[in-house]
Amino acid sequence: MSGPRILILASCGFLGIGLLAPTLTIEPRAGQFTWLVELWDEEATKPVTYSIFGAIRDLYLMNNFFLALVLGLFSILFPIFKLSLYWLVTDRHPNSGSVRSLLKWTDRLSKFSMVEVLFLALLILTVKTLPGGSEAKIEWGAYAFVTSAIGAMLIPLLAERPKK
Amino acid sequence: MTDLSDFDAPKRPWLSLLIPILVVFGFGGFYLIINSNNTPDPIGDPTARTGTGGIKQGLVKGQTYYLFASEIELYPTNLENDPWDGGENGPDIRYRILWQGNKVFESEEKDDALIADWSGLSLDLEWGDLMGKTISPDEAIKAARIRYEKGGVVEIVVEDDDLTDDDDAGRAEIELDDLMIGKNEIKLKKTSINAVRRINLRALPHGSALKDLVELMK
Repeated sequence: MSGPRILILASCGFLGIGLLAPTLTIEPRAGQFTWLVELWDEEATKPVTYSIFGAIRDLYLMNNFFLALVLGLFSILFPIFKLSLYWLVTDRHPNSGSVRSLLKWTDRLSKFSMVEVLFLALLILTVKTLPGGSEAKIEWGAYAFVTSAIGAMLIPLLAERPKK
Repeated sequence: MTDLSDFDAPKRPWLSLLIPILVVFGFGGFYLIINSNNTPDPIGDPTARTGTGGIKQGLVKGQTYYLFASEIELYPTNLENDPWDGGENGPDIRYRILWQGNKVFESEEKDDALIADWSGLSLDLEWGDLMGKTISPDEAIKAARIRYEKGGVVEIVVEDDDLTDDDDAGRAEIELDDLMIGKNEIKLKKTSINAVRRINLRALPHGSALKDLVELMK
């Protein structure tokens, strides 16, 4: 098995784990009123841990269909599609005609490299800028997810280009 | 330049697309299986909950405590076994705490309730205060301040607040030696001088760390 294919499978593995493992822990705070909020609504200040898949599911259940769709598209479907396309490219003879058209697609996709990580970073940044000192902690699932994205980014560099 | 045909390509190329998808789902499923025995589940569920249980501890001699009733329940009828407000309305419950013969705290009134509760907290905030007022726990906690001495007692007087005349619902003399830090449940029998079924009394150490007070009030 070639190097790129091993990298694709490894990226797939990291992606599978990264989607379901704990990614983000949010610790809600209400500034100097935190202790009062804790008394009146104990649940409101308890830390909540989300996986990427769990966050999308919760968004869907809360009727935030647009956000669920965008997050699902860029963090689940897009990375899987990208890795599948890379797998298809490495499955063919490098000089075959269909590889060229697939490579065009992969070149287009490479423009969106790390877009899933960008979404995750935006989510964390949003929580961190909430008033009252709310905290967002990155969990190990996020690192698995980012590793998958970096792996996917390296695949085109390792993949053999068609010889002219 | 030779353009190779797709002769050497797999016959069903789209089937190979499934391999990465299966690997993603396989690893995801594997993670779920090995993690199924470990609670809590991270998928959108709250985790890292803090326990509220603690070891009961008696009062310390010479120390000051906050004391308030978090809940008071009355019997369905008053001392004369009549309805509380003469009709269908429930009693308007209020209590006060007497310590060393002095009234040291009086609660707010809770209208039409056989079970009344008080949080022990109350804030009188103006809109402007939200911009920068600093609130100390001492300012916000609405409770009696008492000091524990061996053999000391406090008296809880419960009343049905009426427009014309306040009716006694009952009174309970509580020995401070029996009190524990946190929640203390006191059950009382119906008599000709008592119509209070239950009092939940909370004792909180004065000057404790904010976090400890919050835990004790839960």
